Amino acid sequence: MTRLLRDYGLMLKWQALSSKTILPISLVVQLMVSFGFVIGLGFLYPSITPNIAKFLTTGAPTISLLMMGLVLVPQMVADSKTAGTFDYIWSLPVSRMVYVAADATIYILLSIPGVILSLILGAAYYHFGLHVSLLAIPAMLLIAMTGIFLGYSLAHSIAKAQITQLITQVLVFFIMIFSPIMFPASQLPHWLSDLHKYLPIVYMANLSRGTLTDLNVNLGQAFAVVGAWCLLGLAVTCILIRKRR
Amino acid sequence: MADNFIMADSVLLIDNLCKSYVKGKPVNDHISLSLGLGEIFGLLGPNGAGKTTLVSQIIGLAKPDSGRITIDDVDIIAKPGYARQACSFQAQTQVPINGLTAIQAIELVGRVRGGDTKTVRARAQELLHHLEMEEWTKKSAETFSGGMRRLVAFCMAAVVPGKIVILDEPTNDIDPLRRRLLWQEVRNLVAMGSSVLLVTHNVLEAERAVDRLAIIDKGKVVSMGTPASLKGNGGRNMRFELTLEPQAAIPDFPEFILNTAVTGRRLIGRMGEADISAAVQWARNLKDNGIAEEYSVGPASLEDVYLKVVGHNETPETNAKEADHDAVAA
Repeated sequence: MTRLLRDYGLMLKWQALSSKTILPISLVVQLMVSFGFVIGLGFLYPSITPNIAKFLTTGAPTISLLMMGLVLVPQMVADSKTAGTFDYIWSLPVSRMVYVAADATIYILLSIPGVILSLILGAAYYHFGLHVSLLAIPAMLLIAMTGIFLGYSLAHSIAKAQITQLITQVLVFFIMIFSPIMFPASQLPHWLSDLHKYLPIVYMANLSRGTLTDLNVNLGQAFAVVGAWCLLGLAVTCILIRKRR
Repeated sequence: MADNFIMADSVLLIDNLCKSYVKGKPVNDHISLSLGLGEIFGLLGPNGAGKTTLVSQIIGLAKPDSGRITIDDVDIIAKPGYARQACSFQAQTQVPINGLTAIQAIELVGRVRGGDTKTVRARAQELLHHLEMEEWTKKSAETFSGGMRRLVAFCMAAVVPGKIVILDEPTNDIDPLRRRLLWQEVRNLVAMGSSVLLVTHNVLEAERAVDRLAIIDKGKVVSMGTPASLKGNGGRNMRFELTLEPQAAIPDFPEFILNTAVTGRRLIGRMGEADISAAVQWARNLKDNGIAEEYSVGPASLEDVYLKVVGHNETPETNAKEADHDAVAA
């Protein structure tokens, strides 16, 4: 256990140092996206009320974390595979899951400012109150980890980087347009709304809203379903990264 | 198991190893070799010969279809974790060090390999000093040239060396002066108790650096031994080389020149010392008749052996050859 923690610390340092060059630009982009998102809601819904703004703004963390996990992570992993990074890292006497844990930690830390900023800006701009419970921390972590593990699974199950890039582009559309994060599932065709009963996305949005607002949400069910997807993503990631060519 | 490839005190033993990524197209075809304790063993072969695939199986990135790999009698196909601890590795690809300084990258790997902070720092500084890289110690890797990144990658493999140090094309892109320093550090690794598996297609460097070598072609070991034993070749220890004039037809070799090979305008062959004057006479005639541009006779080199065994389609790496000559001779 001590060895694992030591290795985790070292890998975390490695990843943090590697990310420091993108940190400033990442913060600027998150600031701009958060600000743009909040202002943009007013363009989409000219007669927006504080309650509607609360519903929309509290869906933003789910979108942001899913984009990180299912779009950014697979693209970065695909790039690393092409560059031969994993061939080097996997040759070190460190558990591969320790490396993934360190990598995930950095992604989560990088995404925190954007999540917090969009919530604060939204609440201030549209004059609604947030009811943040302590469960918001595990809820956000669970959403982020689920996205990251599913992203890792996706990138490691596909041999060609270009295919991974294409799939992530399709996922952007699926998350933004065809997932009931920013609108109720009842607005989707039946088959798609039924499909979302088995996917984690709508439950992620519920986790976000249930722990950040006073909206009535089945949190137990949301934690259970997203937790199950997180474990599935973790298991598949474990299998794929241990696989030898 | 065939015994002729086994060294006494072997640390690494590869027996009858087969690997293919596409069915029916073996990348490694019944490879058997061993790495002795304190030995520098060269794996030579043209691009695509299967050298890197072989290394990938040793460090657990790839799984053999059949055969055995053991390190210290431990089956590392079943226990790849043991191989990763026992082997430190310089990959052919670039290492992921963007954002890190040279010293940070080297120290991190040293700590990951189990070294304590103080010892690792001292060793990292020693390596940077020996390779005359002090001015890059605290510079970020983004500013490094390809050669400098490769040197840092070497230091990462050497900072806490494994029982086996695997170096995959370690001198690519490195300037002649530092090549010389790097080879000295490779010898230091052996003095520290490591054995070195050197993967290269730079024949000249290998000839000077290795104790034994195997030439791999199309996935098979086609020749193995010490550089001297491979060059011996039944008393024909002289090398004859002739460069033809452009457009000149290839002449027939005299009977006493054997093991001939033709690469472009270069004709290479082997002969005994007794035939030197006859060979010179033959070459002089060709030159006088406008067929040959120049010729030379000298001691045989490993390059001749290499050309002979891997066929005529492959030209060994000769870039920076002159520089290498000085560097490796150190």
